[in-house]
Amino acid sequence: MFFGGASDVSGRVDAVFLYIAALTAAFLVFITALMIYFVVKYSRKRNPNPADIRSHAWLEVTWTAIPLVLFLSMFYYGWTNYHYMRSVPRDAMVVKVTGRQWAWSFSYPNGKGTSELVLAVRRPVKLEFTSPDVVHGFYIPAFRVKQDVVPGQTNWTWFTPEKEGVYDIECTVICGVSHSYMLSKVHVVPEERFKAWYFSDAVEPPAETAEAASGGPLAGDPDRGRLVYAGKACATCHTLDGARLVGPSWKGLYGSRETVVTDGKERPVTVDDTYIARSIRAPGADVVKGYPPAMVLPHSLDDQEVADVVAFLKTLK
Amino acid sequence: MTSHAEYHKDYQGAKIGMWLFLFSELILFGGLFIAYSAFRLRYPHEFHEASGELNAALGVANTVVLLTSSLTMALSISALQQARKRHASAFLSATIGLGALFLVNKFFEWSAKIHHGLYPGSAHLMEREPGQRLFFGLYYSMTGLHGLHVVAGVTLLSIMLVLLVRDRITPDDFVKLENSGLYWHLVDVIWIFLLPLFYLAA
Amino acid sequence: MSAASAAKPYFEEGRRGFLGWVTSTDHKRIAILYLVSMVTFFLVAVALGVLMRIEQLTMGQTIMKPTTYNALFTLHGVIMIFLFVLPGLPAVFGNFFLPILIGARDVAFPRLNLLSWYFFLAGALIAVASLFTGGGPPDTGWTFYVPYSVKTGTNVTLAVFGAFVLGFSSILTGLNFVTTIHRLRAPGMTWFRMPLFPWSLYATGWVQILATPIVGITLVLLILERLFHVGIFDPAIGGDPVLYQHLFWIYSHPAVYIMILPAMGAISEIIPTFAHRAIFGYGAIAMSSMAIAGLGSLVWAHHMFTSGLSDFSVLVFSLLTFLVAVPSAIKVFNWVATLYRGSIELTAAMLYALSFIFLFCIGGLTGLFNGALAVNVHIHDTYFIVGHFHYVMFGGTGFAFFAALHYWFPKMTGRTFSERFAKISWAPLFFGFNVLYFGMLVLGAQGMPRRYYDHLPQFHTGHVVITVGSWFLSLGVLMMFGNLLYAAFRGGRAEANPWGGVTLEWTLPSPPPAENFETVPTITAPPYQFNPESAP
Repeated sequence: MFFGGASDVSGRVDAVFLYIAALTAAFLVFITALMIYFVVKYSRKRNPNPADIRSHAWLEVTWTAIPLVLFLSMFYYGWTNYHYMRSVPRDAMVVKVTGRQWAWSFSYPNGKGTSELVLAVRRPVKLEFTSPDVVHGFYIPAFRVKQDVVPGQTNWTWFTPEKEGVYDIECTVICGVSHSYMLSKVHVVPEERFKAWYFSDAVEPPAETAEAASGGPLAGDPDRGRLVYAGKACATCHTLDGARLVGPSWKGLYGSRETVVTDGKERPVTVDDTYIARSIRAPGADVVKGYPPAMVLPHSLDDQEVADVVAFLKTLK
Repeated sequence: MTSHAEYHKDYQGAKIGMWLFLFSELILFGGLFIAYSAFRLRYPHEFHEASGELNAALGVANTVVLLTSSLTMALSISALQQARKRHASAFLSATIGLGALFLVNKFFEWSAKIHHGLYPGSAHLMEREPGQRLFFGLYYSMTGLHGLHVVAGVTLLSIMLVLLVRDRITPDDFVKLENSGLYWHLVDVIWIFLLPLFYLAA
Repeated sequence: MSAASAAKPYFEEGRRGFLGWVTSTDHKRIAILYLVSMVTFFLVAVALGVLMRIEQLTMGQTIMKPTTYNALFTLHGVIMIFLFVLPGLPAVFGNFFLPILIGARDVAFPRLNLLSWYFFLAGALIAVASLFTGGGPPDTGWTFYVPYSVKTGTNVTLAVFGAFVLGFSSILTGLNFVTTIHRLRAPGMTWFRMPLFPWSLYATGWVQILATPIVGITLVLLILERLFHVGIFDPAIGGDPVLYQHLFWIYSHPAVYIMILPAMGAISEIIPTFAHRAIFGYGAIAMSSMAIAGLGSLVWAHHMFTSGLSDFSVLVFSLLTFLVAVPSAIKVFNWVATLYRGSIELTAAMLYALSFIFLFCIGGLTGLFNGALAVNVHIHDTYFIVGHFHYVMFGGTGFAFFAALHYWFPKMTGRTFSERFAKISWAPLFFGFNVLYFGMLVLGAQGMPRRYYDHLPQFHTGHVVITVGSWFLSLGVLMMFGNLLYAAFRGGRAEANPWGGVTLEWTLPSPPPAENFETVPTITAPPYQFNPESAP
């Protein structure tokens, strides 16, 4: 469905969701239409003499029984799929997850510890949650999995990621001032890449995973790029109208030729996708001549967001 | 507002209202009993051990005090019904006295425990097993809340005594005293539950 | 009482002025005290909500810091729940009309009734004081989940104590109403001759008496935990944070029914009056109130499906949750059936009442998503939940409150209001409401968590849309209350029975005299006799 599910669980959750959505939408339309029809048909003007109908036993029985049966079918459908979500396959890889104010950390069976979750596609994983401080909620919307992380007990969930890509992890239980920044990512990569990463010393997730997943360079979206510009504090230093702040304005920047200072030496560059990506990833590497090497990223950008910023820059002629 | 007076004399209504209030009081303690049961199931042995440290003799003594006070309370009401006002106020005074005696006992019991370093958050208690910490946490919460009810009851009964002496409570109009009596019996009944849960669990 | 003085409106009887109002034990004056204080709190909480929406207009900081935002959603929740939605209909319309509808002169315990209002005001003031003392306003959300509520430096202790005092007010009101209904029905007013609003208040009263103490003791334990580290909820000492959630929801789920049952009762009064015919399925509606009150007490753990409950309890609580949906559906069918072959006048009150049915349907139906196990895991603690309960609490109880306010306004104040303007203000209110809260349902299904100061870029468009919706909504609220406020002082004289209603309040002058009935009426037939000759 339109919310982009990416695990075995998401298909099941969406199926129950759609089943209930279809039934309830039909019910709502029926009730509303009937209500409007009655209000028009039996208005004071059209029907000045009301009938006096007090009750109808069979009607009451009918509209008790039909909803009851439908509700029970929803219950049953929900339960069977929930049952699946509580039955872990034996071969699931166990990753221990700790939620603390305000960060997630992941610990793999071989002792590897990370701050972002890396998983092999189509391989079941069981997550075990603990918290040293307060209650948190572990949520991957794209996978439709959520579990409260409660101090003093170990909760768990499991799922099989089915699509390669990078997905958001969010905290869902209010845990203090930075609750909404208690975010992380889950990277789903092919089995071989996962193995290579797993047995290496790297704690950073394997690079350009999203690009690999889509089989080529990421398509940027200028509208989302504008949001990144506004939301990730780019606007603090870069204007869109040609005015100079701490950093160069983005107006007409894409495609222009600039002189940059690399390791103390000046050299000319053309502002293209690669240069922009490098400037974001390593802001101190090539600094445009005449500007201070002052750029800091208060929020990290993922590959998709970088591509979006590039697309946005292209629109600023 | 003279016209409302007739409703104030609705004995049945006053008693229904009081019973409803007592229901909600029972459920207030019910929440604590739920917590107690949950933890006792989780830590049966530690509850057993911790209970042994409470002074069972003192607990039983206080039970006798409260049960006697319930008896004098009932005697006070029946004396008033028979228009024996002096007996009624004597029994009521006795009830108040016994309630106060209960509180004095409770005070010495708590002081002794606190003197031994057994109170929530104390260093001594934190060295013990989790179940024992919870036992004492619940002990102080539940007997404390009950103690507050005894204080409220003694205050209420003292007011009733004043009303009785000033003839505001009479053999024809004694629903206030009867309702206060009901409240006092509730305080007693709750203690009957607390006794085995804390003092006799060992 | 002489006939001349009996005709005097209730607010001209007895002591005048401010002191007269705050010392009167007349149930009608107490109702007005509640109305004024509650509408004030409501408008404050609406303003807090609008500020929260403005903060979400951009990513990152817009107008406030995260601590402020976290305090805002906590306060918005605490004020709306404890000071408006929960006590709203019983305390205002229950107080004013329960005695009148059953043919009584007052409630069973008039002085206790006034005391309830003082407890209400004291609780509210304590909660307000928590903003300016100690570590500042609480930032835990209105649910006060442990251990965060124990660890936070903000002034949770005082705010929670305020909620405890408010609970006391609620218990006393419930106790008063239940006793009133048992003891003070007019001669001939048997249980099944009672109108449906008193029925719903009866069911509500029992829930207030039996469920509120649980949250009372839970909040006391939370205070003890903060002050003395008793350990019952603290895993570091051996306690259990999930136990807090159980105790909290054992009350707070039934509390949802305290909020919605009186709303359903008020709707059951308004629809027959404007359809000019007897309510359809009187018995079914009355009994479904009791069924909701009963079943509703057994479904609390559906707020905790992701907290690590055993699979068996999850199964049972999900099943019970679907069962409690049945009586609500029965009510909806009966209301719509009441329209059938009626003679319908689409007044402002009726418009709000019919909107209630529509919005409550969405609220109830989205509840089915929450109750369904697999789906619950996905949407729990997201904007979907926020959208759902605003449809129930605001679209349901709030709109029923507005409908009842327009319906009974002429009786309560003796004044008429502009029907036209009331309907005009309905439009932005209804439109803005649906943009805001349906938008929340969509955002939630996409994975937007609740209580977030900031949001990820994929949710940005949705946030902008619903923020604009909130402006329409608040505009409509202001217009609606503005219209009524103007009418309360400048409106024309209201007739005794402007709508053609047949319940007892319409037999009294508008506004009623202090004694309500000069002679207590004797009841000889079931309620809603619009067509006496065809009555059974």
